[in-house]
Amino acid sequence: MSQSFARRDALILALALAAIVAVTAAFRVGLHLTNPTTAALSYLLIVLVTAAASTLWAAIAASCVADLCLNYFFMPPFGTFTIADPQNWAALFAFLAVSVIASNLSAAVRDREREATARHDELARLFDLSRDILLTTDSRDAIPQLALFISRRFDLAFAAICLPRGSDWDVFDAGTLSVTLDPTQLSEAFRAADRALEFDARARTYAGHRTARVDGRTVHVVPLRLGTKPVGLLAAAGRAIEPGALDAIAGVSAIAIERTQFLEERKSAEIARRNEELKSALLASLAHDLRTPLTAIRVAASNLQASWLADSERRDQSDVILVEVERLHRLFQNVLDMARIDAGAVAAERQWVHPSEIFEAAREQVEQTIRDRPIEVVSESDLLVRVDPRLTAAALAHVLENAAQYTSGGSAIEVRLTAASDGLTMTVRDHGPGIGAGDLPHLFDRFYRGAGAARRVAGTGMGLAIARGMLIAEQGRIWAENCAGGGAQFSIVVPAESRPTASAEQTA
Amino acid sequence: MSQAARILLVDDEASIQRALAPLLRSRGYDVAVATTGEEALAAVRSQAPDLIVLDLGLPDIEGTEICRRVRAESAVPIVVLSARGGESDKVSVLDIGADDYVTKPFGPEELLARIRVALRRVFSEDEMPGGRLQLGDLAIDYDRRRVLRGDEEIRLTPKEFELLALLMRNSGRVLTHRAILKAIWGPNAVNQPEHLWVLMGQLRKKVEPDPAHPRYLLSEPWVGYRFAIL
Repeated sequence: MSQSFARRDALILALALAAIVAVTAAFRVGLHLTNPTTAALSYLLIVLVTAAASTLWAAIAASCVADLCLNYFFMPPFGTFTIADPQNWAALFAFLAVSVIASNLSAAVRDREREATARHDELARLFDLSRDILLTTDSRDAIPQLALFISRRFDLAFAAICLPRGSDWDVFDAGTLSVTLDPTQLSEAFRAADRALEFDARARTYAGHRTARVDGRTVHVVPLRLGTKPVGLLAAAGRAIEPGALDAIAGVSAIAIERTQFLEERKSAEIARRNEELKSALLASLAHDLRTPLTAIRVAASNLQASWLADSERRDQSDVILVEVERLHRLFQNVLDMARIDAGAVAAERQWVHPSEIFEAAREQVEQTIRDRPIEVVSESDLLVRVDPRLTAAALAHVLENAAQYTSGGSAIEVRLTAASDGLTMTVRDHGPGIGAGDLPHLFDRFYRGAGAARRVAGTGMGLAIARGMLIAEQGRIWAENCAGGGAQFSIVVPAESRPTASAEQTA
Repeated sequence: MSQAARILLVDDEASIQRALAPLLRSRGYDVAVATTGEEALAAVRSQAPDLIVLDLGLPDIEGTEICRRVRAESAVPIVVLSARGGESDKVSVLDIGADDYVTKPFGPEELLARIRVALRRVFSEDEMPGGRLQLGDLAIDYDRRRVLRGDEEIRLTPKEFELLALLMRNSGRVLTHRAILKAIWGPNAVNQPEHLWVLMGQLRKKVEPDPAHPRYLLSEPWVGYRFAIL
């Protein structure tokens, strides 16, 4: 970059010299003009333009050449560097002084402008960096991202965020260059930053800047400070950056690091809160779902002990007990399944089964609930599929139970089983009120009870979550939708191998 | 009780009904059942039950709402079956006008005792609040404002006497903190339960043989107090 600047300055100087030659030639040869005042003003114009366009040194060089030309061509005796009239000595000196001072002023204005542009550029980059940081919401790779943002926004071939971890350092670097930083050097810089906090007004930086030579490259090391306390180091290489700018980057980075920690804390607090909520939801629904069957069992059992019961009533009371024990068993099974899904202890054991076997197994599991429901089963193909029958049937059972519980008694439930070359698809369609739009996204969440259904229908909100958990264990999927003609439809898809049944093979 | 009391049993759980209805019938009650709040409200009008056993978790109407609607048209005693652990639910139904509650899972005797107490209140309502009442060792003489434990007279302050009289008149029945505060200190005191705690402490010291383990003046945690059924 500085090379191209030098080339540009040399070009401007050459142009200025050419202009001086042209003016001299035009005045002497073309116009036969010898008035030194006209020539001096023209030369001054060229010098000023040079100063405005290029560096002070180019302007001074042009002034000197112009001064010599003025002397040689326009001051008598012409054609020599001798000056006859002492008055002309004063004029010549005045010209040189004016052109140098004017160049100086002009160059100063230019420098200030260049500096302002650089600041503006730096500010724009800082702005972009802080926007990048604010848009990062995931705390997990926020710090590597931060290094990447710095290297990208500031055109750095190497940028690294170094965070102390005990006596060691976590270094997150980015950029095209790979530089290995020496931990002892980092620790030393960090300790120095911890000791001193001085503001150097001229360099506009705080104390603690270091430069290190790594693999023949200059690496700038700047402390990252939160307030006054250093929390880490920023290392940058590949381009000369003003120390003030580095400080600014370090300041923004420190805020980003703090933000990351804050995001992490918030996330874990959120997880803890959700777990707490789930726990109390489970306890509340368990309390309800356990107490009702227990009451019925307790009363019925004591009824059975009493002598006043007729035989038929006796059978009815024991029936109550059996039904409620079955209900408790299923509740207990659900809690167990939930715990196993949570612990990741559900493993699929695939074997060849016919889809209708899965349906029969599912129906048996929820016999109590769906006993008085007309269920229409369509089994569309005669293929065997290789799925985990236990998991698949349990998932289907939960969906069937759900359909029976959330629709009014007597309405039909339609089950469609489709075995294809890519797996097993099962749909359960009911003719109930359908699923509320607000409930759809949460239907398979643990302990989620539909709005309003929480009171209407007893349940723990575990069934569908268990169904999903079991299907995930065999790479299956489950989803729900409302049907155009009313009612809801649940679909289960389990990817699996398939083959024709033995009987189908024989007939083929 | 010349004729069998009629009890309306309201619960949406078939098993609870199947277990409770024969139990109640076996004790000579006439039992009607309802499974929803609407059915229950209709039955209150058409059958005029002497007592309602009401489950709080009905599918259509909130239990508290049913209590309020029943109270709006009848003073029939209501014994609430509550499956939730929430004490605030119990307190609010009691404050609305339910007479007592049983928490699931309950034993049959517990429910039957609550029903007896609630019914006794109805059948004895016409009696004068004066006279003399003997419960276990304790005898209270409303006219002379005297309390005896065995043969020994217990000296009570007027407020202590009022509290004991209130609880004994409602023996066996839970009275919420709010109801007691209102009856003894007036409606402005309902949010100052500390009055009641202090007074109850004093009363127990005088009345209970062992104040640390009360046998007459029982606490219903978070809900209220109950004079033991003797």
